[in-house]
Amino acid sequence: MRRVLLPLLLLAGCSKGPDADLQYISQARSLGFEWAMVNELAAQGKLTGAYVDTMRQSLREQLGTTASALTQPQSQYGNEIRALVAEPANAPAAELRSHAGKLKQIEDSLESD
Amino acid sequence: MNPIELTLGIMTAVGGFVDISQVVFAALAGSVFGYSLIWVFALSTVGIIVYGEMSGRVAAVAKQPVFNLIRHRLGLKLGFITLAASVLSTLITCAAEIGGLGLLLRYLTGAPYLLMATLSAAALMACIWVLPFKWIERIFGLLGLLMLVFVFALTAIDPPWEKIAAGFLPQVPSGLSSKQLLNFSYFAVAIFSAVMFPYETYFYSSGGIEEEWGPKDLPTNRVTAIVGMALGSLLSIAMLASAAQLFGPAGVGPQIPGSVALQTAIPFGPVGLVLALLGILFAVAGAAIETCMANAYSIAQFFGWIWGRHKKPWEAPRFTIAWVALLLLSLAIVLTGVDPMSLVQYAIVFSILVLPLTYLPLMLLADDKKYMGRYVNGRLAKVLGWLFFVLIVLMAVAALPLFVITSGGQG
Repeated sequence: MRRVLLPLLLLAGCSKGPDADLQYISQARSLGFEWAMVNELAAQGKLTGAYVDTMRQSLREQLGTTASALTQPQSQYGNEIRALVAEPANAPAAELRSHAGKLKQIEDSLESD
Repeated sequence: MNPIELTLGIMTAVGGFVDISQVVFAALAGSVFGYSLIWVFALSTVGIIVYGEMSGRVAAVAKQPVFNLIRHRLGLKLGFITLAASVLSTLITCAAEIGGLGLLLRYLTGAPYLLMATLSAAALMACIWVLPFKWIERIFGLLGLLMLVFVFALTAIDPPWEKIAAGFLPQVPSGLSSKQLLNFSYFAVAIFSAVMFPYETYFYSSGGIEEEWGPKDLPTNRVTAIVGMALGSLLSIAMLASAAQLFGPAGVGPQIPGSVALQTAIPFGPVGLVLALLGILFAVAGAAIETCMANAYSIAQFFGWIWGRHKKPWEAPRFTIAWVALLLLSLAIVLTGVDPMSLVQYAIVFSILVLPLTYLPLMLLADDKKYMGRYVNGRLAKVLGWLFFVLIVLMAVAALPLFVITSGGQG
């Protein structure tokens, strides 16, 4: 069992660079689109105030965690995630989608490599 | 048969299927892989119906709850290892449920998470202490049915029913890269594990003994297992299908229970949102009680203590101390600040490792004519039981490597 697991753990834990960051890029993309969805539905009056505040705070915290987990924070995707975190809580959905869309493009190009 | 008698099955299933892990997993699975994992829910539902019915039948006929069987059939040493692994996995699950309750109350009220988690644990303790077993199952089973709002929401968004129907056929989506294929496999294993969480059978069979089931209750047991588990499966599949329709195309991969409630807000607005949050809240509260009690049942049955909620707390003192301590320990885990969603991942992997050791003794006893007499496994139960046992063993072998390689489905 140990013989099987050790190489897997090493593989999972020691990689660096865009490939290692792919899961964080994907998470940040998803969080960005979700934040946009929350703000869009909030603007349409479909959500409650407590829910909107909690979701925004939670999404922003998760984005912060994702940004701090990057192995290459000074990369294009690192900048994009930081720009997303810097958006105000009630940012327009289109703006949030624009950041998330750029992350999606980066994610797709890394996945096709 | 009085329909209210189904509440044990409904609570077991709603708390077992639609616990905090399943809520997030079903939605994430739908968002990432569309409708192609529906068949895993359907398949594992048949599995949990087979073992649920079997555990209820053994409880009714041989008056043996699952952990009695484990100790007698596996021996003290292997039985103890099973107990330790099961208690650990169920404890982590219970902590995740309490954390989930804290999160859900925060979405509903905006109050601080840890305060809400603490109040939730206190409320659960009061419920278990004060309410008779029948009322616990009725309250949490029936209020968990608020989650039917997810089924209505799915109908309201007019999804592609033909694609949902096609999702019931076993399949692997075409055109996946090897990385995506590994992720798909991890999701399949994790869904299978989460649907077949062993605590469901510990709770269900112990509940049957609490309610003093006998052979005359076997038809109720069969209907309860089938209807309850099928209902839980329906709710999970509705969440998966809504996510495939609403989240996947929008690029959203929901990671927290609050995201899932958006599915009902889209068609029904704030009313749908609140109903969904309340439904998840009661289902998760049911799961927290289920996991806490299942652990106390397991420990008491293994060591031969007097147990049961039908007794006054002081008539079964070690059992009472066990469930109180387990609930407090789960709360302590939450108060460390660990993310409940991470706990869920570990609970799922631990659980699948315990599954073979849980279901093998159950199969052996249900197959034993000496104990079961004319209520021994029929041909269908035998074939399905062993078929699912082989599947469980295969999944148990694959679970840990897949968890590591895919970083818990994130890779």
